[in-house]
Amino acid sequence: MQKYITQQNLNTLIDTLIASGTRVVAPRMSAGIPLYEPLDSSVEMVTDQLPRRSAKEAFFPVCEEIMSYEKEGQQIKLTDIDPARFPETVLVGVRPCDAAAIPVLDAVFSWDYKDEFFLERRRKTTVIGLACTTADDACFCTAVGLSPAETRGSDLFLIPLNGGGFACQSYSEKGEALISNNSALFSEPNNAAPLPLAAPQADKIDLKKVKSWLDGHFEDTLWDGIAVRCVGCGACAFVCPACHCFDIVDEGTEKAGKRRKSWDACGFWKFTHHASGHNPRDLQPKRYRNRIMHKFKYYDDKFGQTLCTGCGRCVRVCPVGIDIAAIVEEISKK
Amino acid sequence: MHSENQKHDFEPKIIAFVCTWCTYAGADLAGTSRMQYPSNVRVLKFPCTGRIDPVFILKAFQQGADGVLVSGCHPGDCHYIAGNFHARRRFAAFRKLLEFIGVDLGRLAFSWVSAAEGGKWVEVVTDLTEKVRAMGPMVEFKDLALEEQWSGVINTPELQEAYDAI
Amino acid sequence: MPLTSQPIDTSIYATITAAIRSEASRLFTAAEVVAIIGYAAARRVGSAQPVIITDAAAAETLIFTEACVNNLAVYLTKAKKEIPKKGKIGIIVKGCDLKALVGLMGESQLKREDLYLIGIPCAGVLASAVQPATTLTTETIASKCCECDVHLPLGCDFVPSVTLPPGPQMESRYSEEIARLEALTPAERWAYWKEQFAKCIKCYACRQICPFCFCEQCLCDRNKPQMVETTPRPAGNTAWHIVRAMHLAGRCAGCAECERVCPMDIPLNLLNRKMAKELKELYDYEAGFEINDKGPLTMFTEKDDQSFIK
Repeated sequence: MQKYITQQNLNTLIDTLIASGTRVVAPRMSAGIPLYEPLDSSVEMVTDQLPRRSAKEAFFPVCEEIMSYEKEGQQIKLTDIDPARFPETVLVGVRPCDAAAIPVLDAVFSWDYKDEFFLERRRKTTVIGLACTTADDACFCTAVGLSPAETRGSDLFLIPLNGGGFACQSYSEKGEALISNNSALFSEPNNAAPLPLAAPQADKIDLKKVKSWLDGHFEDTLWDGIAVRCVGCGACAFVCPACHCFDIVDEGTEKAGKRRKSWDACGFWKFTHHASGHNPRDLQPKRYRNRIMHKFKYYDDKFGQTLCTGCGRCVRVCPVGIDIAAIVEEISKK
Repeated sequence: MHSENQKHDFEPKIIAFVCTWCTYAGADLAGTSRMQYPSNVRVLKFPCTGRIDPVFILKAFQQGADGVLVSGCHPGDCHYIAGNFHARRRFAAFRKLLEFIGVDLGRLAFSWVSAAEGGKWVEVVTDLTEKVRAMGPMVEFKDLALEEQWSGVINTPELQEAYDAI
Repeated sequence: MPLTSQPIDTSIYATITAAIRSEASRLFTAAEVVAIIGYAAARRVGSAQPVIITDAAAAETLIFTEACVNNLAVYLTKAKKEIPKKGKIGIIVKGCDLKALVGLMGESQLKREDLYLIGIPCAGVLASAVQPATTLTTETIASKCCECDVHLPLGCDFVPSVTLPPGPQMESRYSEEIARLEALTPAERWAYWKEQFAKCIKCYACRQICPFCFCEQCLCDRNKPQMVETTPRPAGNTAWHIVRAMHLAGRCAGCAECERVCPMDIPLNLLNRKMAKELKELYDYEAGFEINDKGPLTMFTEKDDQSFIK
């Protein structure tokens, strides 16, 4: 279904949704930085900056409780979280690189084990993507086969038009339902030209070639060369829209506490540290190798996709300037 | 000193980290001398104030303390010669940090109480208890403990109820 | 922010680059060092990243520009096991980086004779918020450089012979912000830090980049006993940042790497500067200027202030 919506009507849509008790999550300024957060009003939305964290946290929270325990005498009472209580959510203004990562996450969270925490949030969330008009030299969506107008992962996709407003196309039942439930706010498509979209300066990389090199180079001097500088933080994985490793910890006292699930990262020394004291990935290059292997080989082996959407966040935040785009390009030329 | 039991609306929880050689013995003396002091104080005994890590104070506040007392031997009297000198510097720095973060320093007290100073122990504990009672509950850390990143929030009446029950 | 932004002269950086290349080449040829830790250009225009080179041929890749923000001292700590610590290692240091090395030597983590220090006369580096290809001005400069007192590192083995052009006067961003926060009520300060710490995702970039966070196992990674909640929730985040600031008090000399690398822009160096200021006032101690085997919190005098103790 193709439609047109003015900026004002988009704001009305957001405010109507908020008023009806739907959680609307969109980029807004939070203590000085743009982040995807629940809006109190449509005026808070900022779309000219890439949020520092990806939209994955709408489905895969930074930290969430998955169970609580309480000791009553000799009895231990366990309370599960009921995913039915997760709020209905509309994600607005999602960058194409963030939206495209959602199907990537779907694959892993509904594979051998169905992760209800993820899947229930996913079911209850409608994703409104927004074509991207600003890029910097860390952006490389075009290198991994996506583009600033990529619609993958969006239920509804907006393209900003010359003269204001957005061309609006639905890509799923959820998207269509959103239009039909608010049909007064949408009008028939007009033929205004779209605003010039972002143009990341990154040529398409042959990911098949990258994978085939990775297939045969688990041991290679490349890893030391690129990752000896890695300091072992989790910044790259945490800002990544597609990284999905998590840790589960019990926190509390003997009497009562909670079991929590929170983001984890393969860059951490602790990530593979065994209880015995042994660590199979004892040095940083081995950990960084896993990051590249997982993104461009293991995930492809299992799900036929690449675990990278080229948002460039890891390139921007890396404390020591490790540039995944440059590394993958280098591998593709081997 | 409390000559008789009074009823108060708010009974603060006071955690006292004390050294075993001086202040613990001082508190013991207060007890054996049948001196009265507020039962709000929970005493935790350590070998020396030098063993008391600032993180213990943090943990106490996080676990619901309304006030914290750290007490040990007078300078020069340390059983381990210099533990309390080190502690003095450490806590001088730590209280400045807590103050900068926004913790009201009225809730944090330090004292030297020797094994002979049962009366001083009573005074220190009573003062802190009454001061904290006047300030009301320490809600900052308690509120923080219940907060979640937005994505992990599940808005339920049960959570609110659990909070109100604390 | 100043009313008008003034350019900062970085023309000496080209001369410095040439000088460190020839010195690096000489060091390898004369077999004086086994490796040199420096900076090289990266893919993004104007950007730089740390490199560890081991032969004269690679000396040509070394650069020094306003994008050379890293404190390379972190690679010399025992926490970075990837870097072989055998033989003499050359390292490129700005004045602020040298302070960290001085601290590490004081804590017996490094020996002066194992290092070959290539000092950089530094006019300043870029703030983390700007793109690497930005020109250096009083606005785009890193906050730490506004309060820099070590443009010329002292006691190095080699310093390129250049004359630092006089720089413009700059406001002391940290001192001003600390004063602003100190003037608030405790409740307002709590609200400020609560908002800042709420952004934290516990990526531990601040810890991993810090030259002084070299513990084999961080207290905050332990779960028996669990002193600090490991989950990235507001409670655990606040505890982590308090513990971090406390463990660096009297040691941190202000390279501000923690603040630079924070992907959530938490003003972490404010905590470190505040602690440095307090320790200066209390014990007249400033980290990073001379090699002391005792820091302000590992020594004492009998006359120390105890006005806060009853």
